[in-house]
This record gives sequence, structure tokens and C-alpha cells, in this order.
Amino acid sequence: MRGRRIVAAVLALLTLTGGVALAAPPTDRVLSMEKYTTDKARALASRHGRALQELNAGIYHCWPWVDVQKDWIGFYRPKSTQQDDRYLSVHIYIEQDPSQVFARLPFEERAAGMFSRYVGPLLRRMTKDPALTADASLDGFTALLEWMKPVPPINGRPVHEMIAIFMDRESALEYLSGRTDNRTLSARARVLGFDGEAALGAIRIAPTWDDSFVTTYKVANYQLEPGVTC
Amino acid sequence: MRSVWGRLLLLTAVLVVGAGCATGEEWGTWYEHRTHFASYDHMGFSVRNTEGSAPKVSRQDMALARDESWWGKPITVSQEQILER
Repeated sequence: MRGRRIVAAVLALLTLTGGVALAAPPTDRVLSMEKYTTDKARALASRHGRALQELNAGIYHCWPWVDVQKDWIGFYRPKSTQQDDRYLSVHIYIEQDPSQVFARLPFEERAAGMFSRYVGPLLRRMTKDPALTADASLDGFTALLEWMKPVPPINGRPVHEMIAIFMDRESALEYLSGRTDNRTLSARARVLGFDGEAALGAIRIAPTWDDSFVTTYKVANYQLEPGVTC
Repeated sequence: MRSVWGRLLLLTAVLVVGAGCATGEEWGTWYEHRTHFASYDHMGFSVRNTEGSAPKVSRQDMALARDESWWGKPITVSQEQILER
């Protein structure tokens, strides 16, 4: 009886304070195993499901200006590949304040700016678990970076731009080990551009660099959940 | 004696209820700004951040603010056009 009262009190406290459960990121951001279409993908998801949830949680807590939606993290196959190549893929929507400087840049330079800011830190988060990078079934890494195009909305709908970046496993690991730089990584990557609903095809983005934005930017008054470290 | 206690109790109840009620002016103000607390979560944020204290923004606050200020369905490509499951 006493135990039940304690459980009830704890549940009430969690409900009133927002609780631990509400502080956790939504788990549906990671594609669930039954949604994959091949055994190779399902096996990867089975072996590294926990690492993907930790990746999701890390982005959720440590990059609060970034949004990840349902099924945006998983072992996807790039449509351009003929065989069942499986890339660890993360799709993020980046919120940022309007900037005239950013708006004046051509698309290739906006894309290079986003690549410089996010791809390095994203790759480091994606490869935190050594078991994942050691898995021979993993063929590479994909980053889909999406942001609001600096133009007025069309019929009340904002227009987004996106780049899809495909990096083979070797290129990504060489960059992470410091053997190649960011510029080499972007030159070796396959990059597709999208302007709203229009596919721009494979694009050559402007030269990239290692931008420190992600490690230095702090959202004003943002407070990490108890027990979370970044 | 019982009636004296009864009257005192009634008077106390009237004072307590009266003190808790808003004046007509206050109701008018509330009515004009009734969306101030758009949701329970917004209220929670406001209550936690009282005047004079440094405001604290949680991850949930940011997610809610994003949801509530969303401009509508964006014009963009779907992930399925680029990746396969």
C-alpha cells in the first residue's frame, strides 16, 4: 500500500513538473525496423538502434535550433545507387534568423555555408559509437540540410532550400581522422540541390571550411535538461 | 450561538469569494488578452519565468514555440524523393 502511494506521488510529481518522459526526444525520429525494405537495412537497424536513438537525443538537446522530424534518421539507400548501399542518413531543418548577407549569396555559396557549419559536427555525432563505424555493412553517410529560403512566402507557404550530401565511408572517415580537410570532403561528396520543390540536380558548391558555429553558438537562456551533457 | 457562528461563517465565505473575484475592469482586461496563455505549456513557461528572474528556455519550450509559429506547410521536396527505405 505504501509502495503504491510512493509510485502515485512520483507519477503526480512527474506530471506536474513536466517529467522525465516529456524531456526526452520523440523516438519516432528514427526510422523503425519494420519500415526497412531489405534484410541488410534491417540488420543494421537491429545492431545500431540504440546508437541512432542516442544520435537523435544528442541533436535534440544540444542543437535546439535544429528540427528533426519523423523518420528523418535511418540507414537509407540513396536513390542514385544501383545496389543496396546503406548510408547512415540524418535530415535536419535548420532554423536561423533572417540575414541579408546570407540572402545575397548565390545558392552554391549558401549551400557551402551550411555544409561548412553542419557536416563536420554532424559526422562526428553520427560516428560517436565505434561499433557503427566498424560495421562493414555501412557504406557511407548522408546529410540532408534544409533551411528556409530567404524569399517571401508563396501563397502563405515558406519556401525551403535543401542540399543532400552523400559521402562514401572512406571519405568521411578520412576527414574525421584529420587526414583530409573539409574542402576535400565537400569536393569528394556528391551534392544534390533543391529549391522548393524543384530539383537542381548535382551541384558543385563553393569551397567549404570548418565553421565553428555549432560549437560556439548558444541559444539565449537555453537550459539543458537535468542530466544531459553536450 | 449557532446562528452567530453561522453568520460569521457566511460573512467569511463572502469575503473570501469576493477577494478571489475579479472586478469588471479586470475581467475586461482578461477578455481582451484571453489568449495570453495560449496553452497549458505556455502557461507553464510563463509561471516558471517570473519577473526579476533570469528566463530559462527548455528544449520543450523551443519545440512548442516552433510549432505555434509555423507558417504553414513549406514548399520543399520530400525525403522519399532522395532516399529509399
